[in-house]
Amino acid sequence: MSEPILKIEHVSKTYTGHKALDDVSLEIPQGSIYGLLGPNGAGKTTLIRVINHMTFPDCGKVFFEGHEISDKDIFQIGYMPEERGLYKKMKVGEQAVFFARLRGMSHYDATRRLKQWFERLELDEWWDKKVEDLSKGMAQKVQFITTVVHEPKLLIFDEPFSGFDPINANTLKQEILGLRDRGATVIFSTHNMESVEEICDDITLINKSHNVLSGPVQEIRHRAGAGSYLVTYGCDRQLFLDSIKDKVTLIGEAEGVLGGFSQQKIHIPETCNLKDVISVLNDNCDLRAFQEIVPSMNDIFIRAVNGTL
Amino acid sequence: MSKIGLIISREFTERTRKKSFIITTILTPLLMIALMAAPSLMMVLGKTDAKTVAVIDNSPEQKIGKSLESGSTVTFQLLDPSVTAGQARTRYGNADSTYGILVLGSDVVDNPANIQFILNDAPSMSVEENIQSQLQNAIRQERLSRYDSPELDRILADASFKVGGLQTVKNNGNEDDSAAVEATSSSASFILGLVLGMMLYFILIVYGQQVLQSVIDEKQTRVLDVMVTSCTPFELMMGKILGIAAVAAVQILIWGVLIGCASAFIMPALFPADAVASIQDADVMNIVSKFTDTGFILSLFIELLLFIVGGFLFYAAMYAAIGSAVDTPQDAAQFNTIIMMPIVLAIIVMMNIMNDPNSGLVFWCSMIPFTSPIVMMARIPFGIPAWQIIVSVVVLYLSFLAMTWLAARIFRVGVYMHGKKPTWKELGSWIRMK
Repeated sequence: MSEPILKIEHVSKTYTGHKALDDVSLEIPQGSIYGLLGPNGAGKTTLIRVINHMTFPDCGKVFFEGHEISDKDIFQIGYMPEERGLYKKMKVGEQAVFFARLRGMSHYDATRRLKQWFERLELDEWWDKKVEDLSKGMAQKVQFITTVVHEPKLLIFDEPFSGFDPINANTLKQEILGLRDRGATVIFSTHNMESVEEICDDITLINKSHNVLSGPVQEIRHRAGAGSYLVTYGCDRQLFLDSIKDKVTLIGEAEGVLGGFSQQKIHIPETCNLKDVISVLNDNCDLRAFQEIVPSMNDIFIRAVNGTL
Repeated sequence: MSKIGLIISREFTERTRKKSFIITTILTPLLMIALMAAPSLMMVLGKTDAKTVAVIDNSPEQKIGKSLESGSTVTFQLLDPSVTAGQARTRYGNADSTYGILVLGSDVVDNPANIQFILNDAPSMSVEENIQSQLQNAIRQERLSRYDSPELDRILADASFKVGGLQTVKNNGNEDDSAAVEATSSSASFILGLVLGMMLYFILIVYGQQVLQSVIDEKQTRVLDVMVTSCTPFELMMGKILGIAAVAAVQILIWGVLIGCASAFIMPALFPADAVASIQDADVMNIVSKFTDTGFILSLFIELLLFIVGGFLFYAAMYAAIGSAVDTPQDAAQFNTIIMMPIVLAIIVMMNIMNDPNSGLVFWCSMIPFTSPIVMMARIPFGIPAWQIIVSVVVLYLSFLAMTWLAARIFRVGVYMHGKKPTWKELGSWIRMK
């Protein structure tokens, strides 16, 4: 694997009497979409502010493409803060051009590319309106465009989907995926777990200022679900229970009955062979379906935060 | 364009495009002209009908009462001495027709306290002043006439004179004084210095506050959080300061032109030439003659520019640092007071300049950058040595650099901080932060 674009090593940050980050380390692979998860107040935004040099860690280091991050590297980042900031009295188009030029684009390029973006996100008729006339969702779209128009290497979105309707949230997701495909690395903090499953390649879960869970999303989900299966069978329930009771533990009660079949979640301990269980079920219980249960990120999030993972 | 350039141009265009900018730019000179024209307007508008005062003179021959002359403020109506004050009270008690009744005692020439003024209406200062001065003259005349000396009037006229303005001349070190430069009298210099000093005061405060407000606005709207990945805090701070400086320059220039035009075309109409010519005051003539001297105006203008620019940059850096450290204008108030203190001190010291423009206090205040722009500008019309001005300017610009460096350090940390107002100790630790 190539060098991670961003590496955070043992970062701690204490505000007056409150520890916001405690020895957090993580690596963000080049070209990935990285989810920074955690309940409110866990320290996600503080971590982002440390990366952006808006605040300085008490100890620990941040590396950008292998070297310690400098003020210059910050300009390679596109950052959309959670609390959106635009000049209210300024015209939308002018403002977008101003930010794009501030990030190094020429007036001509900025105008051309922004017009394309505005058209794509159906904002073109708002180009000459003032920001204060925009709805919240539209202002956020403008904010999104100004963050990405100069195509920075690393994009950081703090709660990008908050305040969007499902249609716009979906548009935004597609755009974020597109940016990744064109080579950008994307970090976003969120507690919207659905979006994490859909688009994140890797995640880190921060809880109470600690990094409690890190890694690729698929791996985490399989690991968290290891040994849990959903069985659909056609035989009598007692027979089913008798056949497997010494091998597995049941999770919950028997569930939904589909066309005369029963369903039961089970957990197979590591000591027990999966094949044996399947064959027993197949032989005795009119086995109709047997599938691995991959927990949703939502479940994992709640279990991790409650410490039951 | 550089990043600072972009920020300056945004700040400039956004501000000058605002309606409020256009309105204040046009209205302020109008207001100033109105203020200048106000006294002459007041005289025209403040004129009321003459008040009628009934006079009962009990002195022999009614000499005093007869000598009272009716004018534009008071019309005197001498009553028959047989009318008593009591009768007059009822007969002339109507406020609409008679303003008051003046009763002069029979011994009024020897005892001027024996004068009573019975009012039907609210007291009026101009009427009282008019009556007092007329009585003063009449009684004086009456007393003098007792000496029966025809020479007396002439002697008195000869003995009353007044020493006017001194002819102040600068010592050029030569015996021959024909080439000596005429020096400005102290009061003329003081008036000029006062105007210049107040101008500096106004500019420092008004535009300095704009810098403060601008930084706070940016913090409140969270635009700053977006700026972090676009430019350094220093670029942002300098861009804001210089952008507002550009707005100030344009605004002052427009005012200069408008006021110049106004004084060329409107003032002569308000103050006719013969009225100006009739001004005998040496001080005023002195200032007027000064302003026809192009060399003097030019050097004064350059000095003014140097101190305006230096003073503004120095104070703007402080205002920017404060704006970065707080979240709301309310929080800024406490720090604002601290900034205002040297400015107010400078104004107090400025008032002292007339006594001695070279006293220790005044000298040092015109060197220390916190007060120097205002105090030095007020001193310059007195004709102080060039080296002092140069030192003061150099100190001011060096301090501006130091203050900017200091402010940038506070700004760098403060601008991304939200929440409670920092203490002085915290501000100190921000400066030391690596």
